[in-house]
Amino acid sequence: MTTSERQALEAYSRGDLTALELRRRLHGASYGDVLRLLSEEDLPLPRAPVAGREAQIERARAWMFPKHVP
Amino acid sequence: MSHDLKIFVVDTGPLITLAVAQSLDYLLYVEADVVISDAVLHEATYDAARLGAQDIIDWVKAHRTRIEIAPTKAYQVFDAARASVPNLREPDLGERSAVEVIEEPDRLTGNERGVLLCEESTVLKRVVVRDRTRIVELGTLDFLRILEQEQRIQSAELVFELAAKAGRTPSRAEKLPGHDAAIRQALSDLVRRRENDGPELER
Repeated sequence: MTTSERQALEAYSRGDLTALELRRRLHGASYGDVLRLLSEEDLPLPRAPVAGREAQIERARAWMFPKHVP
Repeated sequence: MSHDLKIFVVDTGPLITLAVAQSLDYLLYVEADVVISDAVLHEATYDAARLGAQDIIDWVKAHRTRIEIAPTKAYQVFDAARASVPNLREPDLGERSAVEVIEEPDRLTGNERGVLLCEESTVLKRVVVRDRTRIVELGTLDFLRILEQEQRIQSAELVFELAAKAGRTPSRAEKLPGHDAAIRQALSDLVRRRENDGPELER
């Protein structure tokens, strides 16, 4: 893996790069390839921050489990 | 397929993440129909060596009454082009096809609503949709956390940890060389069956 590819993978892991852009930079790698590379480089999967999306997540929860949401 | 809630799998990320964590059935823990575009299924499964490919095919085949494989023009054009360019790759094909499905005029009528299940980095991009009162985007981890809050699963984080470790273990397909052709045939059968399905799958 080249330095720029490693940097792109790190940026993706931090959530600074989309999977689509990363896959382009890795010459058409699949999402499965991305998972494998993250694992090999000991990098965590990205996590979308919840801040700013609370209402949308709560709406989805109410749709998914209408009887259980207070 | 008769639930008011539809879960649209927008890209391969959720399928592969859940497959390698042996957690695809979590998508069925919600009273909803699961809709996967033909191109997203193709991207997730066309190469048997890909992580989770065989598990995804098996899961789709086992739950055909809950899972709709939606045919799209995007995939039709891509598939036709592959006749002359066998190694053709379009990294955004899955997302384009998923948007095509969501934007179909007769999707989400009446009281129907849609959850767009996206890979973590896609959910922040905010997929362009026509009606935000009916549609919300969720990342895979958001979806899992809701299941955890509803006490349907023990730990959302555990699923992500299992997926993160996936690269260190061979996929089922890698353990079974020669399955590539079988997977391609299975995918073709699934798409063909969807196209020939009866009225219960029509919209």
